[in-house]
Amino acid sequence: MIDELCLNDALLAGAKEIFETMIFMDLEESTDPEQKMEEDTLLGSITFTGTLEGCLTICCSSSCAKTIALNMLGMDSTEEINGEDINDAIGEVTNLVMGSVKSRLADSVGNLEVSIPTVVRGRKLENSLGDGANKVLVKVNIEDEFAAELSLLYRENPEQHSN
Amino acid sequence: MAKTLMIVDDSATMRKIIMRTVRMSGLQFDRTEEAGNGNEALEKLGANPVDIMLCDINMPEMNGTELVKKIREMDSCKNTKIVMVSTESSQELINGVIADGANGFITKPFTPEKFQEKLSPFMN
Repeated sequence: MIDELCLNDALLAGAKEIFETMIFMDLEESTDPEQKMEEDTLLGSITFTGTLEGCLTICCSSSCAKTIALNMLGMDSTEEINGEDINDAIGEVTNLVMGSVKSRLADSVGNLEVSIPTVVRGRKLENSLGDGANKVLVKVNIEDEFAAELSLLYRENPEQHSN
Repeated sequence: MAKTLMIVDDSATMRKIIMRTVRMSGLQFDRTEEAGNGNEALEKLGANPVDIMLCDINMPEMNGTELVKKIREMDSCKNTKIVMVSTESSQELINGVIADGANGFITKPFTPEKFQEKLSPFMN
């Protein structure tokens, strides 16, 4: 049985690594348990299967997503960037964080197969795996300016355990 | 001698990041190309082979390992050095894709120094 604290630590450490090395932005766990997201948000999601199955998501405001995309592409904050490029950047961040989390969990859960990331934009977005799923949610601050949420929705996969 | 480079990744953002990181590494190429999927890469390589290809693994339609196998069947690309660039990092996967014909592997996240280290041997 995987420890929820272990998943929480892997998710936070994986995201911090990616934001520092590939996006050049500071990401810290929020100290405010009541932290709320803005209404207009982007949700990047990537699924995984193995001894654990589920999905990793990153949810942030559209203004935060735009800043992330500009930083990733080395663009100035005054430059124009279209919605497609912003979605692509958030998908790639989700993929990178999943890769980092996956390598951190390799010793405890073995190899995880991952999907291609998807990104949706909307209000009050939520992911669900249905009944019996567990959820690890980490609220973070990016550059002390933007609120964002990282989550792992998962369930253990007994078929993979017995193989 | 002038060198040519192709970057294959389904994410336009990642292609731009890789291109910028290659520039930051100090390595210089005479011609650089991009492809957003395996079929586009094969089409471009058929017309103009390159010296070095940087290739993602986790792509829709045709993944990076399938693309490596197809390129190794092309006589015109027998000298192309293929370096995989991926978030995947299992030794089993790395060994497998090297056995299929790739010449190197860079794990994301990466640095300009990592590109310098992995690509310099192919620049002479």
